[in-house]
Amino acid sequence: MKSKVFAVRTWKEIMRDPLSYIFCVGFPLVMLVIMSIIDKSIPVEAGMQVFRIRNLAPGIAYFGLTFVMLFTSVQVSKDRTTALLLRLYASPMKPVEYIFGYTIPVVVLAVVQMVICFGVSFVIGLCTGTSLSVPEVLLSMVALLPSVFLFVGFGILFGCLVNEKAAPGLCSILISAAGIIGGIWMDIDGMGGAIKSVARALPFYHGVSLARLPFRETAEGTVEHLLWTVACGVVVYGLAVAVFHGKMKKDIR
Amino acid sequence: MGYGIEIKGLKKEFGSKVAVRNLNLRIPEGSLYALLGVNGAGKTTTIRMLTGLTKPTGGEAYVMGHSILSELHEVKKLVNISPQETSVAPNLTVRENLEFIAGIYGFDKTRTEEKVREMLAQFSMEEVENQKAKTLSGGWQRKLNIAMALITEPRVLFLDEPTLGIDVLARRELWRKIEALKGKITIVLTTHYMEEAENLADEIAIMAKGELMAVGSPEELMRRTESGCLEDAFVKIVEGVSYEE
Repeated sequence: MKSKVFAVRTWKEIMRDPLSYIFCVGFPLVMLVIMSIIDKSIPVEAGMQVFRIRNLAPGIAYFGLTFVMLFTSVQVSKDRTTALLLRLYASPMKPVEYIFGYTIPVVVLAVVQMVICFGVSFVIGLCTGTSLSVPEVLLSMVALLPSVFLFVGFGILFGCLVNEKAAPGLCSILISAAGIIGGIWMDIDGMGGAIKSVARALPFYHGVSLARLPFRETAEGTVEHLLWTVACGVVVYGLAVAVFHGKMKKDIR
Repeated sequence: MGYGIEIKGLKKEFGSKVAVRNLNLRIPEGSLYALLGVNGAGKTTTIRMLTGLTKPTGGEAYVMGHSILSELHEVKKLVNISPQETSVAPNLTVRENLEFIAGIYGFDKTRTEEKVREMLAQFSMEEVENQKAKTLSGGWQRKLNIAMALITEPRVLFLDEPTLGIDVLARRELWRKIEALKGKITIVLTTHYMEEAENLADEIAIMAKGELMAVGSPEELMRRTESGCLEDAFVKIVEGVSYEE
């Protein structure tokens, strides 16, 4: 009950910031449209698949999650620097209720964002003659869920560790890393070498690949991508919970 | 009448620095008690210990008969604090901030609505109830800060410098609101404004360097130190000028 009350407050705080709409929905959609236009300009002979809507839609849906991380981190850090958390620490709220109160609204936000992204992609698909089926989209959304927790975890973690001004800077590193090394903007599989090794050592490439799997004809790499994505999601989110709990204990020491 | 707060040898150390040293105090239930002291005297640390925001390193305290060491969860249900810094959710309206805190303390919808209306009326906030907290003036934010603490019907209310940084009219208005609570709940007030303590407090405890220097009503403290006003009495006590015990 207290988690729900806190979650509603967090939701309202995030949704009443116009930047949330610009970055969480507007920017990914603009990228989706621009990249689709670019794709139309690339000659078929170039064989470049990365901006095809069946690759782009799950990629952009993943990219959008990085902005959920940004807003989570800003919200947590803002709460920590104002005296609101101090007031709440004096209330009968338990640590787990804070975590749920931060997690629930941003997970809902991530799902809404995915629905909008795939919805617009569906329309783009119709316009370009490339269809996205509902089962493929639903499967891709399920595949993105571990990554939702990965980015929410990063958001809470950064919000605990740095202040409101430093959090966006730190997040922008991961936003760039997810876009480039994750293979959203370039074909990592086609590149190989050191880049691919680095990409495979990080969760982003696996998260993007897992989200793209339902749109592919082959299921190759499913286990590897799934294991990496779930493991990283669990570890990062778990770490965020532990750090939040530790910070709370330190604050009231 | 029992004690709203009973403090026995309470101590708080931050490394080698002693913030509160062997504090003993009894605050009668329903009274308005002012904690006075210069910056770093240990007032806020004392309040933080009594509300569970800081763990004591020694001693014990009971709030409405519940130990802050072994029954903190019970204590938290009975107390509320209006912190020194304005602690409101900035993007929520005045009404939503009140509903939020009522919800956190487990009030159902009907009771929340009833209490929100009561707080809005008590603090004359109807005209700003749908305004976002971040757009309010300092005085309104202070009022909201206190209303958010009061909405949970605390048995003990801690007001940490409630009128800090607001204009004289807003301060006087807040005094009237605080005065109206006297006798209904136990209030512990910290302030740097002697006039505030003199006007509002039934009893005053003066702290310096983490220690309790004197306790008494404003009149008693002035009489004992042969001072014409509380400010003079305060200065004499804090500076250690000898006076009648």
